[in-house]
Amino acid sequence: MGILEVTDLRVWYDGLEAIHGIDLSLPEGEITAVIGSNGAGKSTIIKAISGMVKRSGKLIFQNRDLPEKSNEIVRRGVVQVPEGRKVFAGLTVEENLRLGAYTNSHPKEIPELLEKQYETFPRLKERRNQDSGTLSGGEQQMLAIARALMAKPLLLMLDEPSLGLAPILVSEVFNNIVQIGQSGTTILLVEQNARKSLCICSKAYVIENGRIVIEDTGENLLNNKEIANAYLGSSKRLSCN
Amino acid sequence: MVLQLIINGISLGAVYTLIAVGFAIVFTILRFSNFAHGGMISACAFIGYFFQRYVKPTPPFALTVIFTAVCGIILALAIDFFAYQRIRINKSPSIYYFLVSLTVAILIEQILIVFFGTNMYGYPAVFETQTMQIGSFRIKTMNLVILAVSLSLLFALMILLNKTKIGLAIRAVAIDPNTSRLMGINSNVVITTVFAIAGLLAGVSGVFIGMQYSVYPSLGPTMMLKGFIASVVGGMGSLGGAIIAALFLGLIEIISTYFLGATTTTIIMFAIMLGFLFIRPQGISGKFAEDKV
Ligand SMILES: Nc1ncnc2c1ncn2[C@@H]1O[C@H](COP(=O)(O)OP(=O)(O)OP(=O)(O)O)[C@@H](O)[C@H]1O
Ligand SMILES: [Mg+2]
Repeated sequence: MGILEVTDLRVWYDGLEAIHGIDLSLPEGEITAVIGSNGAGKSTIIKAISGMVKRSGKLIFQNRDLPEKSNEIVRRGVVQVPEGRKVFAGLTVEENLRLGAYTNSHPKEIPELLEKQYETFPRLKERRNQDSGTLSGGEQQMLAIARALMAKPLLLMLDEPSLGLAPILVSEVFNNIVQIGQSGTTILLVEQNARKSLCICSKAYVIENGRIVIEDTGENLLNNKEIANAYLGSSKRLSCN
Repeated sequence: MVLQLIINGISLGAVYTLIAVGFAIVFTILRFSNFAHGGMISACAFIGYFFQRYVKPTPPFALTVIFTAVCGIILALAIDFFAYQRIRINKSPSIYYFLVSLTVAILIEQILIVFFGTNMYGYPAVFETQTMQIGSFRIKTMNLVILAVSLSLLFALMILLNKTKIGLAIRAVAIDPNTSRLMGINSNVVITTVFAIAGLLAGVSGVFIGMQYSVYPSLGPTMMLKGFIASVVGGMGSLGGAIIAALFLGLIEIISTYFLGATTTTIIMFAIMLGFLFIRPQGISGKFAEDKV
C-alpha cells in the first residue's frame, strides 16, 4: 500500500477527457517518475492530485481520502513544484519562501525552516532580499523547490524541474531531488529528461495520450529497448553516470 | 495663503487616497473595477451623518468614524456575499464582476434617493469653525484631523500588507492567484479580507468626504470617479502609484479650484486622466495590469 493510491483518475478539459482513468501507487519514501511525450498528460496528473483541475476517481493519501480543495491538500502535506517554476515575481526570495510555509501555524518554526533551505541552497541566502523575478532560471528553480520544502511536504511533486536549465544545473537539481528523497520525503517526479529520472527513481510510469502504457522499475525501463527508442533518444543501453 | 491651499489640497488628496486605495485593492485581487465602492461611500456618508446628528448625547467625532467604518465593513462583506460570491463559485468571466458592481452602485444610489431624496444634507459642524495656529498660518482643524487619520490608516494598511502573513498572502494572490493556491492559501480568506479593508476605507472616506462637501446620494460615485482617476494615473493595481496620484489630484483640485473655478477643475481632472492613458497607459508606477475591465 503506497502513501498515495490513485484509482481510475479522470480529468476533463472543456468536456474533453484528457486523463482516461489511470491508477498510480506511490511507495512511501521513494521516488516515482512519470515520463511521456509532450501533451501526454503528465502535468495534468500532478494538477489533479493538487486539486488544481476538476477530477474524478479515488485518491487515498495515508489511508484517508485526499480532499478536493487545493489549500486543504497542501495542509495534508501534498505539495507541488509547478511547471515553469512560478515564483512570485515582485516578491523577494525570502517572501516567496515564507509563502511556502503559509499553512504552517507555528510562526516560531519559520526561521528554522528558512535556515534549512538556505543551507541546502546557499545561493538563495545571498539573494534573500532580491526580487525573485530577477533570479536566473536555475536560481528560480531552486527557489521553487525550496519554497515547496518550506511546507514540510510528505509528498513532493515536481513538474519538469530541469526544463530549460543548463546541463550543469540539471545535474545540480537532480542531486537536490535525490537528497530530498533520501531525507524520507516521498517524491513524484515528472520529467522530460527521461534518462536522469529513470536513473534516480525506484518506480516509473510511462504515459501516452492520458493512459499508462508501462509501469516498471526505473532500472528495467532503462534497459527496455522500446523505451530507449521512444524516450531516451538512442537505442544504445545508457548508463546513469 | 499658499501654504493653506497646500494643506487643504493634501488633506483632500489624503481622502482621495483612501478612496483610490479602497478601489485599487479590490482591483489588484479580482481584476475588476469595483464601482460599487462609490455606492458604499455614499451609504457610509449617510450613516455617519445620521449617527453624528441624531444619536443623543452627541457622540464624539472619533466614535462616528469608527461606527461608520464598521458599517462600511459589514456593507462590503454583504455586497460580496450577496452579489459577487456567485460569480466566483460559477467561475463566470470577469466582465460579470464589472456589470454586477455597476448594478450594485446604481441600486445603492436609488435606495438612498427613495429614502432621502436628492437633497443635500450638511454635516453638523464638528470642527468646522475651529482653526489652529501654526506659526503665522491658520489651518482648519478639520483638515488636519482628516490628514492625520488618513495618513495613519494608510500607514497601518502598509504595515498589514508588508509585515503580516495575510498581507503577504494578499500580495501573492495579486501576483498569481493560481500559484497562491499551491501555497495552501485559501482565496476566500484573502478576498474577504480585501473587501473588509475596502469597506473600512469606504466608511472612513465617506464620513470625511461628507464633511468636506455635503451628503447626497450621488456623492460616492462622484468621488469614486476621482479615486478611479487616481487609480488609472497611478497604474491600475498599484497601491503606491494610486496613493501618490491621489495626493497630487487633491492638490491640483484645490489649487485649480481656487484660481480657475470648480467647473474648469473637473475638466482638468479628466484631461489629466486621458492624457495619462495616452502617454503612459501603465501609469506612474509602470506596472501594467492585464485584463482591465
Ligand atoms: N487548460 C487546459 N485547457 C484545455 N486543454 C488542456 C489544458 N491543459 C492541458 N490541456 C490538454 O491536456 C493534454 C495534457 O496536457 P499536459 O499539460 O498534462 O501535458 P504534459 O504531458 O504535461 O505535456 P508537456 O510535456 O508539454 O508539459 C494536452 O492534450 C493538452 O492540450
Ligand atoms: Mg507538462
